[in-house]
Amino acid sequence: MKKLITLCLILAFSTTAYAQEKGSVLIQNATVITVTNGDLEETDVLIRDGIIREIGKDLNAPRGVETVDATGKFVMPGIIDAHSHLNGVDINEARNPVTAEVTMEESVDPNEVGIYHALAGGATTIHLMHGSANVIGGQGETLKLRYGVSQEEMKFENAKRTIKFALGENPTRVHGQGSGVQPRTRMGVEQVVRGHFDEALDYKRKREAYLEAKAQYDRRSRGTPPVPVAENLRYEVLNDIIEGEIFVHCHSYRADEILMLMRVFNDYGIENYTFQHANEAFKVANELAKNGAMTSVFSDWWAYKFEVYYSTAYNASILNANGVVNSINSDNDQLLRTLNHEAAKVVRYGDTSVNDAIKMITLHPAIQLGIDDRVGSIEEGKHGDVVVWDGHPLSIYSKAEMTFVDGIKYFDLANDPDDMRIQINPGSDFDDGSNFRKIVDNRDEDACIQDTFILLQDQAQTHAHN
Amino acid sequence: MRKHVLLFAFLFAGLSMQGVFAQTTPAHALKNVTIHHADGSTTESATIVWRNGVIEAIGTNAAIPFDAFEIDGGDSLHVYPGFIDGFSTLGSPSLPKGQDLPKLDDPGNPPYYRSGVQPERKPSELLTEDKNFEAIMKVGFTTAALYPDGYMLPGQVEAFYLSSSHNNVGLIKGPLGLAGSFDTAPGGWSSGAYPSTLMGVMAKFRQVMFDATALQQHIKYYEQNPEMPAPDRDRVLEAMFPLVNNSTPLFFEVDSKEHIERILKIQDEFGFNVVIVSGKEAYAKADELKRRNIPVLAGIDFTDMPKWYAEMKKEEEKDEAEVEQEEEAAEEEEISEEEQNYREKQLEAWKAEVTNIKKLMDSGVSVGFSSAGLELKDLSAKIEILLDEGGLNETDLVTLMSANTANILGLNRTHGSLERGKNASFSVFDKAMTEEKAKVLHSISNGIIHEFNGN
Repeated sequence: MKKLITLCLILAFSTTAYAQEKGSVLIQNATVITVTNGDLEETDVLIRDGIIREIGKDLNAPRGVETVDATGKFVMPGIIDAHSHLNGVDINEARNPVTAEVTMEESVDPNEVGIYHALAGGATTIHLMHGSANVIGGQGETLKLRYGVSQEEMKFENAKRTIKFALGENPTRVHGQGSGVQPRTRMGVEQVVRGHFDEALDYKRKREAYLEAKAQYDRRSRGTPPVPVAENLRYEVLNDIIEGEIFVHCHSYRADEILMLMRVFNDYGIENYTFQHANEAFKVANELAKNGAMTSVFSDWWAYKFEVYYSTAYNASILNANGVVNSINSDNDQLLRTLNHEAAKVVRYGDTSVNDAIKMITLHPAIQLGIDDRVGSIEEGKHGDVVVWDGHPLSIYSKAEMTFVDGIKYFDLANDPDDMRIQINPGSDFDDGSNFRKIVDNRDEDACIQDTFILLQDQAQTHAHN
Repeated sequence: MRKHVLLFAFLFAGLSMQGVFAQTTPAHALKNVTIHHADGSTTESATIVWRNGVIEAIGTNAAIPFDAFEIDGGDSLHVYPGFIDGFSTLGSPSLPKGQDLPKLDDPGNPPYYRSGVQPERKPSELLTEDKNFEAIMKVGFTTAALYPDGYMLPGQVEAFYLSSSHNNVGLIKGPLGLAGSFDTAPGGWSSGAYPSTLMGVMAKFRQVMFDATALQQHIKYYEQNPEMPAPDRDRVLEAMFPLVNNSTPLFFEVDSKEHIERILKIQDEFGFNVVIVSGKEAYAKADELKRRNIPVLAGIDFTDMPKWYAEMKKEEEKDEAEVEQEEEAAEEEEISEEEQNYREKQLEAWKAEVTNIKKLMDSGVSVGFSSAGLELKDLSAKIEILLDEGGLNETDLVTLMSANTANILGLNRTHGSLERGKNASFSVFDKAMTEEKAKVLHSISNGIIHEFNGN
């Protein structure tokens, strides 16, 4: 009996620790952009306890459930950004070319007011990523933008594990030029990946052999005990990648390096991966499709460094037309608020269908994050992560009026106070503290490599002195 | 048989009596003083007698031995149990500046000391001269738990009797635990090393624990079977064994709620005991800390009071005549609604900080005191805030800095209160410590008198 009580207590505590608040709402008479089942006019969406329960006409609000009149308005799935650094405490653990053991799960700042700004732009989920300083960077964390909850409660429950890889200039500049270690070249980048996978496989064999021998020795207490092989966090994660438990998101630009990594992954049997940025992906769209590789690109952003010159605004459309699952990402806190515009550009430039463009900021990023069974479209049984827009979401004039996550309204344009910061530093005066209203107005040169610029500058200075 | 036992008992008693006489030193007696006990009670016209660092008698009826050196408090002096700083880097060798560290060939694989992993360091082997030893005694501290200044795992925590000179600062008790924080490796941008981020520190901590676990296992196996390859002994990893074995606590310096959550996560993974140090936002996790039985050695390095609030309070203290005069002179400051809203939030945030200790106490969390980076010159001002705005009274304060801290450090059998048989560590103030300009005249640490004459 005592045991039972203890068990109950443990269960009670463990559930309170992870229990998410869920909401209910009936959105009435909207044009519902389902993404997977066309646009439904004059349709209601009923969300109960965080889940979309019913989509149809003239639904009745269950008792106590708030209704929203969305006549003349559009309801769309919440926008998902497959590449964000929005609320990372740190972004780059840039002191080693391989840092698979670190995770953005432990670098989440739940108090970042930018979360609210993103909600105001209709975003509901982000993929908080490690930066691109390292060939194999840290693990990512998929977060729901539940503004005001704890770091643990922001996590998208049971989202697929992810990790950041990076090819090309960033890792070669930071490590090759910055620290004088491999990789100095693109060839070196490939060898860092292969070398670490081989080391990880070797570690796994040794570790398993040790654990088996240890179990035997401890049981029988005779023979020669094995020399212990310490658990190695980095190699454990690398093995999880090889075993398909972790989706790879690889920062890349050039077609040659994209092909290189697909070859490497084929050699190690790695199947689930997305090329991030991938400005030259259009050149190898067929090869990508053949390998089942996915892409997550900018609509029209390039030329911020040498390897990003060969680019086109048709990238997303070409990839889409060739059957590559492609998403449009922000990699930027400001752009995250207007990802609908980025999707609209794909329609404008490449004549991609409106629904396919919307997929690029909803269902496709969901697929790339392994959460498409729960979000990314408006379907019965999926999460109540939806946005009410005052016009078609791809119109430049439209505004998000309400943003729901798990059926809870986290943003309401009609009730949008000036100061939505959760955390106030009591040492800041009003004048210092009021800067929260100044949202990033310049696009960072390359957000992915933030925290590491100074490493490069330092290197440049050293060269100048030599 | 019984006779023999008695005989032995007498023999031992005789021996021990001889021992005492052989080493005896004159007693000291401080009479006619007001004693403030850790539980908040006071005894007036009291006497306190101590010898060899131990309190022999205390109270209004304490007999003064014939050999005692007497000090008469003249009914005006106030005696408090010696305050204990629960976590301080007093006397620690200073750290090299980041830019002075040589650039590493492979910053991804630095030696332990360059990654900030130095659990083998003991303050008792490293103490250096520090003018703050005397300064801290002058504000009522007699005892401190010290650790060497460093980074993520800077060294061990040990308890000391304070003295004005570091040569006389005496070890009370060996390792009370290991010190830790989320500090990244030193060296800054030019000479930095892994781990350079919070997530890197968390990963590195785990890896050090795994490596120590493996080494300990190897040493154990090797002892059983010397025919196997010998382990590579490593004093850094071996200093982690007590943590691996959950036989010592980790004194972890954290402030934000999120950081506290992060260290609790690591605690869940490894199972050792944790003592939260500083813990500015510990109130936000009070229930969780209580449930886990985690004590807090709270810091009081509060953010300065918002300027407008300080001015408002000053205004309130002025008498009406003055206010009227000033009103004629200057129009009242007008602020926007937005700024007013901001002020409310700002004050709320500040109040949350200064009432942290009170909230923890009310929630039943064991709270002690640590200077945790506080500048000594700010101590009295911060204490004033704690009493005026933090919801603590003088009794709470004395308990916090003496009995509670002694409990958390495991020194409560000898320290933290003024009782017969306890260590003679107390401070003599010229007036009640909460009164304005109260000064420590004498600090008695382990029975040794340090005279300051109020200077």
